[in-house]
Amino acid sequence: MGAFAQSIVATIRQPLLILDDHSVVRTANPAFCREFGLDPLDVVDHVVFEIDDGRWNVPEFQRLVADVQAGGTFDRFELRDNGPVGKRVIMIDAWQVRDEHDAMVALLAIDDVTEDLVAQSERQRLRRELEVRVSERTAALETANNELEAFSYSVSHDLRAPLRAIDGFSAQLLRVYSSCLDERGQHYLRRVRAATQQMGQLIDDLLQLSQRSRETLLCESVDLTALSTSIADELALQEPNRRVSISVRPGMTGWGDPNLLKVVLQNLIGNAWKFTGAIDAATIEVGQSEHALGDAYFVRDNGAGFDMNHAEKLFSPFQRLHQQQQFPGNGIGLALVARIINRHGGRVWAEASPGRGATFYFTLPTVETP
Amino acid sequence: MTAKTILLVEDNQDDEELALLAFEESRVSNEIVVVRDGQEAIDYLFGTPANNERDARPLPQLILLDLKLPKVSGLDVLKRVRVEPRTRRLPVVILTSSREDEDLIRSYDLGANSYVRKPIEFAQFAEAIKQLQMYWLVLNESPRPEI
Repeated sequence: MGAFAQSIVATIRQPLLILDDHSVVRTANPAFCREFGLDPLDVVDHVVFEIDDGRWNVPEFQRLVADVQAGGTFDRFELRDNGPVGKRVIMIDAWQVRDEHDAMVALLAIDDVTEDLVAQSERQRLRRELEVRVSERTAALETANNELEAFSYSVSHDLRAPLRAIDGFSAQLLRVYSSCLDERGQHYLRRVRAATQQMGQLIDDLLQLSQRSRETLLCESVDLTALSTSIADELALQEPNRRVSISVRPGMTGWGDPNLLKVVLQNLIGNAWKFTGAIDAATIEVGQSEHALGDAYFVRDNGAGFDMNHAEKLFSPFQRLHQQQQFPGNGIGLALVARIINRHGGRVWAEASPGRGATFYFTLPTVETP
Repeated sequence: MTAKTILLVEDNQDDEELALLAFEESRVSNEIVVVRDGQEAIDYLFGTPANNERDARPLPQLILLDLKLPKVSGLDVLKRVRVEPRTRRLPVVILTSSREDEDLIRSYDLGANSYVRKPIEFAQFAEAIKQLQMYWLVLNESPRPEI
C-alpha cells in the first residue's frame, strides 16, 4: 500500500481490515486493534478466522468474506457476536478493491454499534414513556376541561333559573300587590330586583370569562380604528347626554381574533367612558405608541384614575379599585381583557394616578404577512 | 282544523308559572298546554305506544321547547318532531336558559325555527313571550300539517 493510503488507514478512527484472497489479514489499522483489544502482531499475516481466539470464525462472517472475494459489496452487514466481551453487535461495510500490485483485496470497515443500539433502545423506551405520560396528561386535561364545561353549563342554566323566579315574582308583587306594601316594603322589593339583575350580569360575565378562555383563536388582521370608532359611537348613542371628546388614531390594525379584540376594546373604552363620568371635559384617546415591549396600543382617559400602588390587583377577577356607588361594576372586565391579550401572546399594563386619568396599554403579536 | 294551541315544554315550575304570567300579561289568548318533560311532549304529539298512538292530541300551532328536560332532552324531542312527517314543519322555538354556543348551534342544526334565551328580568321575558306569540301565531304563515 502506498505511504499516503497507509497513513489514511492508520489515522482513520474507524476499524479497518484488508484481507487478501486467502483471507489473510494484510492490514489491520490501529483503530481495529484498539476496538477489539488485539496486538497488531497477532492480527497481521494471520488468517482472519484464526485471530482473536477464533472470534471471527463464524459462518455468517465466512460467507461475507467469500462473497466479497467473489466481487460482492456489503453495506451495513450485521454480525451478532456472543464473544468473550459479551453480546456485541458489529456492523460491516465490505467491498473489493485492487491493490498496488493489481491483486484483489477485500476491504472491511467495521463498526461496533452495540452502544448505539443500547442508546437507541433507551431512546425508544424514553419516547414511549413520554408518550404514555403525555396521553395521561392529555386525558387529565380533557377531564378537567369537560368538568369545566359541565360547570359553566350549569352556571349558565341552573343558576339563572332561580334568578328569573326571584325577579319575576318580585315584579309581580310590586305590580299587583303594591297596595298591600308600604313604601319601605316596596323599596325592599326593588332592592331584591336590583340585586337579581346584578347577579345575572355577574353570571353572564363569569361565563364569558370562562368561554373566552376556551375558545379557539381565529386570528386575522383587524381594523382597530374602525372597531374603536364603532364602540365609541355605540357608547355615545346609549348615553346621548354625556359630552365626551373621543379621538381614535387612524389606520391602526392588529393581528388577532376580531371577536375577542372587540371584547378588549369594549372593556377598555367602556371603562374610560365610565370613569370619566364625573368629568366636565371628558376626553378619551385611542392610539398607538412605541414602548420597550414593542408597539403598544393604548386607551387613555382623563377620568378618576387610580393609585398605582393597587395596580397589581387590576387584572385579577373580582378586584375593584372604586366603590360600587361611585362606579358600578363587578371587576371582571379587565380580567377578561388580560386573559384575551395573554392568549394572543401580548402584554397588558396600565399607568394612572388618582384624579388624573388612566392609560391602558396592550400589545399584540407582530405577524409577518404571508 | 288545528286549534291555535301553544305547547310549552317546561320542567321548572317557577318558569312555567312565569311563562303563563307573561302570556297573561301580553294578552295572549291562545290555549297554553304545559307538559313537564320530554317524554310527555312526545306522548302529547305522537301518542303512546300502549294506545297504538291513537291518543295523540291535535297538533299545536307552536312548540316552546326548553332544552334541559327530564327523561328525554329538548334536543331529542326536536329530533323526533323533525323526523315524523306529521310534525316536521311545525314551528319549534327553543326557549332556554342556556347561552352555550353548542346548544344554539345544535338546535339550529336539528331544525329549530328560533332560539330565545330566557331573560332574567321579568319585563323582558314577558316582552319576549309577547313577540314570539305575535310573530309565530299572527304574522307567520305555517304550512298545513300533513295528515
